[in-house]
Amino acid sequence: MSADRPAASRRMVNVVIDGSALSVPEGTLVVEAAKLAGTSVPVYCYHPKMDPVGLCRICLVEIEKTPKLQIACATRVTEGMVVHTSSERVAQARNGVLEFLLLNHPLDCPICDKGGECDLQDFTMSYGPGLSRLTEPKLHKPKRVDLGPTIVLDEERCILCRRCTRFDDEIAQERNLVVIDRGHRSLIGTSDGGPYRSYFSGNTTEICPVGALTSKAYRFRARPWDLTHADSVCAQCSVGCNFRIDSRFGRIMRTFTRENLEIDDGWICDRGRYTFNYLYEPTRLRRPLMRRGDDLAECSLDDAAALCAEKLGPAARAGRVGVIGGGRLSDEEAFALQAFARQVLGTNNIDYRVHLQKFASPARFGARLIDIDDASLVLMFGAYTPEQAPILDLRLRRAVARHHTQLMYIGPYRPHLPVEAQYVEYTPGAIADLMMQLADTVHQGRTESGDGFVADIARRLAQAEKIIAVHNGRDPASVSALDRLLETLAGYNHRVGVLVVGSQGNARGAEAAGCVPNLGPGYAPCSGEAGMTTGEMLKAAADGALDALFIAGANPALTFADGALARRALENVPFLAVAEQVLTETAALADIVFPTASFAEKRGHVTNLEGRRQAFGQAVEPPVDVLSDAEIIALVARAMGHAESVSPQPAALLAGLVRAESAAERSVGDLLPRAKVDAVQPAAVEKVDATHRTFTIIPVPHLYSGGGAVAHDPGTAPMRPRPYAIVNPEDAARVGVVPGERLTLSGSGGSIDVEARVGPQAPVGVALVLADMPEAPANKLLDASGFGTATISKAASVPEQRSLERVSA
Amino acid sequence: MATFEPVLTKGVGQLDLTDVAAYRKNGGFVALEKALKDMTPESIIAEVTASNLRGRGGAGFPTGKKWGFLPKDGRPRYLVCNCDEAEPGTFKDHMLLEQTPLQLIEGLILSAYAINAAHIVVYIRGEFLEGYRIFMRALSAAREAGYVGDNLLGSGYSADILVHRGAGAYICGEETAMLESIEGKRGEPRLKPPFPANAGLFGMPTVVNNVETLCCIPHILTRGAAWFASIGPPKSPGPKIISVSGQVQKPGNYEIPMGLPAGELLQDYAGGLLPGRTLKAIQPGGGSSAAIFAEDLHTGIDYDSLAAKQTMLGSGGFVVMDDTTCMVRASMTLVRFFEYESCGQCTPCREGGQWVHRILRRLEAGEGSDADLLVLNTINDTLTGTNLCPLGDSIMPFLLSVLRRFPQEFAEHVTLAGCPFDPARRMVAA
Amino acid sequence: MAEHGDAQAALIPFLQYCQEQDGYVTQQAVSDAAALTGITDGEVESIVSFYSLLFQHPVGKHIIHACRTLSCMLGGADRLHEHIRRRLGVRNGETSADGEFTYQEVECLAACDKAPCLQHNLQFHYNVTPEEFDRLLETWRAQPAGAALPAE
Ligand SMILES: Cc1cc2nc3c(=O)[nH]c(=O)nc-3n(C[C@H](O)[C@H](O)[C@H](O)COP(=O)(O)O)c2cc1C
Ligand code: SF4
Ligand code: FES
Repeated sequence: MSADRPAASRRMVNVVIDGSALSVPEGTLVVEAAKLAGTSVPVYCYHPKMDPVGLCRICLVEIEKTPKLQIACATRVTEGMVVHTSSERVAQARNGVLEFLLLNHPLDCPICDKGGECDLQDFTMSYGPGLSRLTEPKLHKPKRVDLGPTIVLDEERCILCRRCTRFDDEIAQERNLVVIDRGHRSLIGTSDGGPYRSYFSGNTTEICPVGALTSKAYRFRARPWDLTHADSVCAQCSVGCNFRIDSRFGRIMRTFTRENLEIDDGWICDRGRYTFNYLYEPTRLRRPLMRRGDDLAECSLDDAAALCAEKLGPAARAGRVGVIGGGRLSDEEAFALQAFARQVLGTNNIDYRVHLQKFASPARFGARLIDIDDASLVLMFGAYTPEQAPILDLRLRRAVARHHTQLMYIGPYRPHLPVEAQYVEYTPGAIADLMMQLADTVHQGRTESGDGFVADIARRLAQAEKIIAVHNGRDPASVSALDRLLETLAGYNHRVGVLVVGSQGNARGAEAAGCVPNLGPGYAPCSGEAGMTTGEMLKAAADGALDALFIAGANPALTFADGALARRALENVPFLAVAEQVLTETAALADIVFPTASFAEKRGHVTNLEGRRQAFGQAVEPPVDVLSDAEIIALVARAMGHAESVSPQPAALLAGLVRAESAAERSVGDLLPRAKVDAVQPAAVEKVDATHRTFTIIPVPHLYSGGGAVAHDPGTAPMRPRPYAIVNPEDAARVGVVPGERLTLSGSGGSIDVEARVGPQAPVGVALVLADMPEAPANKLLDASGFGTATISKAASVPEQRSLERVSA
Repeated sequence: MATFEPVLTKGVGQLDLTDVAAYRKNGGFVALEKALKDMTPESIIAEVTASNLRGRGGAGFPTGKKWGFLPKDGRPRYLVCNCDEAEPGTFKDHMLLEQTPLQLIEGLILSAYAINAAHIVVYIRGEFLEGYRIFMRALSAAREAGYVGDNLLGSGYSADILVHRGAGAYICGEETAMLESIEGKRGEPRLKPPFPANAGLFGMPTVVNNVETLCCIPHILTRGAAWFASIGPPKSPGPKIISVSGQVQKPGNYEIPMGLPAGELLQDYAGGLLPGRTLKAIQPGGGSSAAIFAEDLHTGIDYDSLAAKQTMLGSGGFVVMDDTTCMVRASMTLVRFFEYESCGQCTPCREGGQWVHRILRRLEAGEGSDADLLVLNTINDTLTGTNLCPLGDSIMPFLLSVLRRFPQEFAEHVTLAGCPFDPARRMVAA
Repeated sequence: MAEHGDAQAALIPFLQYCQEQDGYVTQQAVSDAAALTGITDGEVESIVSFYSLLFQHPVGKHIIHACRTLSCMLGGADRLHEHIRRRLGVRNGETSADGEFTYQEVECLAACDKAPCLQHNLQFHYNVTPEEFDRLLETWRAQPAGAALPAE
């Protein structure tokens, strides 16, 4: 296997390119050296992120002392090399290659999405032939091939550069997109003509140098030169990929990668790329809503703010108020939200945590994403990066496939990973013990002698030079046990690091901004007694001990582990105000709903899982009555007579946050203070009971699950899974579960209907249930530990058929 | 008729050389016994180098030199035998495989011993089902007789032979495509460097040799490098099997001394042209080679003499065309071959081949134009020398040579709006 | 299979074996091959589609490969091919209406001295004239059913 982006060593060599002399690292590809020399060599098959293959031959250049023209994309510079990139011979060869490519290429540029940013069109203009000889009747190939939920392929436009198939192989490591047939009959395709399903499919539309692969979401919608660009950062998950939002007449047309080598390496996932059309759906909230009996009716912003003030004021004075949210807001807004709680409502009852995540940052040993690249071993537990942090996962895939990084996955069920991994099954709750045992084994130097799987893992750790742990900050005991393990390893000169995958896009920003009950901005201990956690607030609300809740950018009804408690709390609390973009399960229970601006409609900063704060710009204006969360918070604060406490301005808020952070500055090596956590009782794991058909429920994440934007987006609708539960074949046989049938799962908080699946990844006695699906909220079956039990029976009714998954031939 | 004592084909047609005893009686396994007892791998390589044996697969690369390229880094090495013979007009390996498989086996073991290869893979063209069966029988007989397997003849050297059947693709004859194919992939040539000597089969150092090349090895070792080097021109010596086909009296495989004039091969071995015909063109080195003509019959059949005529010995497929043959049709047939067999990776080969084929088909059908002729006359500059592997460079040589020699014949296809060799069409045009 | 150094090296032999059993590479064979070698179904199909002797679709019991390259062309292949097509009622690449015969014109079969040549289920037939073809056709028709393209 060739090394990743090999060659370029430190030794410098002297080369002359088109007359300009320069010194470049030995082994640099001629095409890259040419860039340094300020000339550009045209390329089609070459892509800087992928191994050179030298297929398209457009990059032929003349190298002195070499009789034949050489391809710039695969030839490496050597000392004294003299290169000509635009000699007569080169021009002729380029012209010839273009002529060949255009022979059967349809001349439909006027209606092609790629028109204006097509390399074939561009190079033809710069280097190409006239049309004189291109009278050859075109050979025809399939046009408009439906490649699945996201992509349409025009085989006639395809120039067989294979960037797309190589992306799917080398970058995504999925290898579902392939070349079928050979010679000029070659086509790009999939197995049996089935859909090309990948979380990364959209990237192929960008790297396709022609208009062969186009996004269904963008087809025929705009011309590149009509688009306005805004630099943004994706907030769908905690990786924080950089991207660009392209709009036209104030409406988002598409998103596009904006390479940041240290974060996204130039890729974005399809959820990030395609989740924007919900903004233009009728379900998007555009007007404030006020409860009138069972219904929510539109009202004015002022009326909404006035009612909030009227209800929150007395609740605050009585100390019976709570604030939930922050993980989906910008850093500035999270800062505003906690300021609103602490200064306006006078309470420390503020918490961004509405999933199982307890900590968004490592207490120490914080790592960078690029630390994965050369890690010898990645230890993952709790987090499931293929579904929760796809672009991080791409980095991991590449490290495993190209750099011999070992991936060790510890979890309660076998994950589906595209690269080789060692899987260690653990029962819920046991992971902290495992970490402690590993720390002891390493500490006592018993890694060579011991046997059993603990010793085996310890041995691997002891042999690994650099170890990166990836988890989701969910279990405080295992997190501190991990710290001990890493400390031990660091003591033996291993390089170690931790990445905590956030449950919400800006979990880390919210934590740092002080959206936790015991810590203010910059992790400074807050004044006064620690407030209530989300769990405590919900419990109090359910028990009638809170009079009001203010929730911004959070949907605990669907995502909080103990769903029954969450729903009871939200139903029982006398006053509930929610700021949201769409009518979520939580918003639907509110007394006041403020429509909020999306990330594309405001500006600010977000902090990714590494703790890196990144600015995002505003791409489009929000609808008239739609404000940013910061503006909503400021509006309510003003209505309560506290205009001075919360600014609506991102700049002012950021300044406040930064001030607070520098005041809280700790010295290097200090442990980061920890957010207060609930005392969680260990999971109630019960064995399967064949007669009672009782199963342990483990929720499983999915990239497209959730009740917010993604649930209302037509672009991502075809990718959304239907709720399902997977049981082990052994259990299926015992209790008579047939794949595809409808099951009812009944637990402590109610029941849900799902599709039955059978697979070996589910341990015996366990049902893996798709988490966070509004149609079938798994949290109805769970308790605060994040696990639960349920009995399985056949569903009584057949639900309406969702046929979106199907792909037309 | 000139007499040349056959070396590689000695006994073929007279003895059952698939039988170990018969093969031994014919002089077989003497080299193997001698080498395993008395010769070091280094001395074998030295002998082969001194013999000036050049690869019979087409490129004519000196075999000893190729073996010498292997890095001495202790990684396991592979010897791969190229028995994918699919070059138009070539059928010598097919014959060697079926008629004298033990000679190939002996050559394989000797070569593997010389380069210290841990594994031998024979890649047999998928269409050679009969040849594969014969070879497998011969292989088990040789194994039984102790010529293949562990601790050969008590030398401590072990070698076994693995056979991989092709699945239908000419390009798999190209050595790196063949390696891909053995690895279970699409048979697409690799980007070089790295070369097989450094990173070949499964990334290990690998030598790929043609069947006929390997069959020469036992003879070089029994009779000596000097004997071999003395046959034919010094830089291009040895016995050579030429596959003669086309419009001659006695088509077939003929073993000749290198350097034999083309005319002698045609006349003395192949029995000359059919009665009443005159020679029009000969393709001397398989479908990839440019044609020679009547005035070139004195040219020696060897690497250098043919190269001097802007053509090549190639695989030794000698296809004779007389005056009844339409050069447009002959070219079309060959270009269609390359178009069909192109793997499709490189733009010029994939698109250019298809374009030239369509033009020739049009000309032959009487639908061609002057513009088509112009393209044929100029396309070589961008089609040849611009591809990753030599297949693309094989599309044009024959066509160009006959186009230059018989321009009027091509032009006539346009003016007559049909093929002058097709009586029916000529009447239509007239 | 273990004799091949790398799992994927067993792929083509495995596909050849499957084709020998089923006549072509079925979708089931594709999945089995993928499972065996650790590559995806798509990759298997990509590989199958590359090789002309692996069939992705059902073919006749009798597969006729008639050489069309230069030497056979010089030996009268055109006339023979026209005859075969007419006899079987097919175009190049098609299977006869009764589903028995699949006819494919192929590239040089390395039997150029005995032109025109063809293969019937990979068995060579040399110097085939139209009359000879008719005779062969009768014997093939009379043959008991067997798998096309037998391996060993
Ligand atoms: C398109 C193409 C097809 C080839 N086909 C064959 C072939 O069928 N048999 C063969 O021995 N060499 C063939 N070769 C040459 C091989 O790549 C390689 O040079 C040869 O097997 C080396 O063996 P040798 O050094 O013994 O000649 C082919 C080369 C190309 C470019
Ligand atoms: S679809 Fe696009 S990226 Fe893929 S091979 Fe064709 S031109 Fe290249
Ligand atoms: S860019 Fe160099 S061959 Fe394609």
